[in-house]
Amino acid sequence: MWLVLCSANDISAQWAYQGLKRRGLDPLEMIYAEALPFSLSWEHRVTADGASINLTLPDGRLIEGGSIKGALNRLIAVPSLQVAHSPDGEYATQEFSALFLSWLYALPGRVINRATPQGLCGQWRQISEWVWLASRAGLPVPAFKQSSNDLINEAVIERRLFPMGTPTRTLIVINGTVCGANVPDVIRDGCARLSELAGTALLGVEFAQRSDSEWLFASAMPMPDMRYGGEELLDRLASILLGEQEQWQEPTARVSPDSLKSRSSLSTGASL
Amino acid sequence: MILLCGIPTEPPLALVREALDESGVPYALFNQRQFSIMEMEFEISNGGSVGGTLRVNGSRHRLEDFSGVYIRLMDDRVLPEVKNEPADSAMRLRCRVLHDTLTRWCEIAPTRVVNRASPMGSNSSKPYQAQLIQQYGFEVPETLITNEAELVREFQRNHKGVIYKSISGMRSIVQTMTDEDDERLELIGWCPTQFQEFVEGMNVRVHTIGDEVFATAVHTEATDYRYAYRQVGDSAELTGFELPDELREKCVNLTKGLGLAFAGIDLKITPDNRVYCFEVNPCPAYSYYESNTGQPIARGLAKYLAGN
Repeated sequence: MWLVLCSANDISAQWAYQGLKRRGLDPLEMIYAEALPFSLSWEHRVTADGASINLTLPDGRLIEGGSIKGALNRLIAVPSLQVAHSPDGEYATQEFSALFLSWLYALPGRVINRATPQGLCGQWRQISEWVWLASRAGLPVPAFKQSSNDLINEAVIERRLFPMGTPTRTLIVINGTVCGANVPDVIRDGCARLSELAGTALLGVEFAQRSDSEWLFASAMPMPDMRYGGEELLDRLASILLGEQEQWQEPTARVSPDSLKSRSSLSTGASL
Repeated sequence: MILLCGIPTEPPLALVREALDESGVPYALFNQRQFSIMEMEFEISNGGSVGGTLRVNGSRHRLEDFSGVYIRLMDDRVLPEVKNEPADSAMRLRCRVLHDTLTRWCEIAPTRVVNRASPMGSNSSKPYQAQLIQQYGFEVPETLITNEAELVREFQRNHKGVIYKSISGMRSIVQTMTDEDDERLELIGWCPTQFQEFVEGMNVRVHTIGDEVFATAVHTEATDYRYAYRQVGDSAELTGFELPDELREKCVNLTKGLGLAFAGIDLKITPDNRVYCFEVNPCPAYSYYESNTGQPIARGLAKYLAGN
């Protein structure tokens, strides 16, 4: 069994579901985020043998961890309306979020993308982190500055590198390969490198393109509109999930500032 | 130069500040309660180098000059200076943006940060973190998360004792299951709940800082030693404890593996010397252990921040 986990309004995931079915993934179960909190039965265990998951969905479907071969994971949030207005609503919401992170992380087989604490379908990052990573990946990035005088309420407004309406092009990276034609090698290599550094197998990379020859990093996301990757992406997703791509190795984030050159030269020299 | 962030009178921050004072290591304070006299900015240049400035009441610090940063931030939304401000007030926004600028810089700053926000995230889900902990060679207690009462009863039958506690990082008091709990067990149908086998043994809190290790044995009959007085009428007794070399190394590897520089690791050592790991706290209130045992944890932290 393979799973497509997504929100009911995720058109891109619906598109991928149909494409994967046509490519022979059977049985392929579509599971909506909105239904999951109402599952009739949750059984998630962590034992000396590892972690396991069995759940019975509201429509009666039984999802047994042992029979899962892989998953396309597009969950971004745990719907919590069923508990949000109860006296312990905040506590219950946190409990559901913690459960989802754990069972999604425990999914067996090939999972694109596996859950992280910073995002259920891969790590979401602030734009400053993406700029830093993109820069290290060799992509052309615009100057970035963040100040306490910016007075941008990021709970309401997303910090952006370019104003809304700037023409952009989105590339999809899957397992180290950029889908699509007419992409300069330096951009293709940089995107693959960014996916590797970010530890995110399926990554959308957006570029500002005010002319055909201009490629300037604009943003990246672990839950892109997969339709930008076209049939090539579907072929690659199917190949990974069916186990045909031997090169699949689940990524982990490779770079943090701690892995850079030691800063011992900045030691104060004081003795402790 | 070290940067200390938080509220200076809060014990963990106060202790490390004392340790830095004793050793003459210079530091700057990011005092959350004085957010109105601070300004901060950083920039990322082509190639990924990060620079910027922090201004505190007229004093200007280059961010590149901080060799270590200790973050012990309180929730800035509930600081006394803003708690009576309306949700959309300019002062509240100014406070939020300053804190956001600090935490964003810390994520990418090429310096020792204790601890960066991203790796601290593993503590938001105990069973998720338990899966990571297993990868570093520790045993974890058998755990069941369910909304089905019958599965819990079966779990109880298979273990001598069972405790329950929160799944998330929200603080809860660990409780032992009793017959009275059975009467309300059906309530878990509303929200899946975490149950764990009770492990007999001695609680040991291990603080790791870089390669340095401080272990503290906790002696109590309480299920949750943090609430020993409430649970058994007597406070827990804390004493320094010497870990075997192999276990010290495992603790250091676990901390580093989770991407942390400083951690409080909760272990239980059974009478037959099996070592269970319950949790890794990425922002430990180490002062409780230091004040009860005299272990020089703050000094170790200061030493790490100074790059020694």
